[in-house]
Amino acid sequence: MADRPQSAPARTGTGPGRVLVAVYAFFAVAAGARAGWQLATRFDEAPVAYLLSLLAAVIYLVAAVGLAVGGRHGRRVAWWCCSFELVGVLTVGTASWLLPDVFPRATVWSAYGIGYGFVPLVLPVLGLLWLRRTRGTSSS
Amino acid sequence: MADGLVTTLIIVALVVAGVSAVMALLNRPPNLLQVAGLAAVEALLVVQAVTATARMFSGDRPTSMATFVGYFLTTLLIPPLAALLGSAERSRWGSAIVAAAAAVVAVLTLRLQQVWHG
Repeated sequence: MADRPQSAPARTGTGPGRVLVAVYAFFAVAAGARAGWQLATRFDEAPVAYLLSLLAAVIYLVAAVGLAVGGRHGRRVAWWCCSFELVGVLTVGTASWLLPDVFPRATVWSAYGIGYGFVPLVLPVLGLLWLRRTRGTSSS
Repeated sequence: MADGLVTTLIIVALVVAGVSAVMALLNRPPNLLQVAGLAAVEALLVVQAVTATARMFSGDRPTSMATFVGYFLTTLLIPPLAALLGSAERSRWGSAIVAAAAAVVAVLTLRLQQVWHG
């Protein structure tokens, strides 16, 4: 892979960033497999919860690709995905406590991601911190 | 799910995770042993997948099918993905990827067993 020009932001897809890419990819697979199965077999039971899980899976996948690709465009995509995830996990986490009727079936983000060891809550924060840290090394 | 197989799988995954974590702390990229460890974990996962599928076809199903299938497919895909990304990253962070992946497989295998028994 060719080196980027000096004015470009630091690489996001290597070093510790590659660990983030890996974890995001794991989560895309985990949430996607679960949502896909639920949508295919029991869509009528809880369409909101299942579609939300699918949306989360897509966002995780896009975040992984954004971080892996890097560059100005990749960083922007990753930033939006991480921000969306953070808002999503906080909103759905809170809503699943206050309005359990809306989410009769668990999603990745229910109860702040308790079903996945709270990783869905920690991951976007780490992603945003990593984007912030790699930003400072360039002059652009 | 066969309990002996599950126990073996969790122990092997935890050993791979532990060795890889030490390698990451020692600032070493993943070595052949760690990749072989991932391959061993994957082999055990495939055996488990075949066994579980056979049992599902004979009518013995997990309580929550969706959760089970979700975790199940995820565990199968994690070791190849980790081997790919871990080998590409020739630094301590490559070992960190292998350690994280193996730990996730151990946790998911434990969860799989809980989900199966409801």
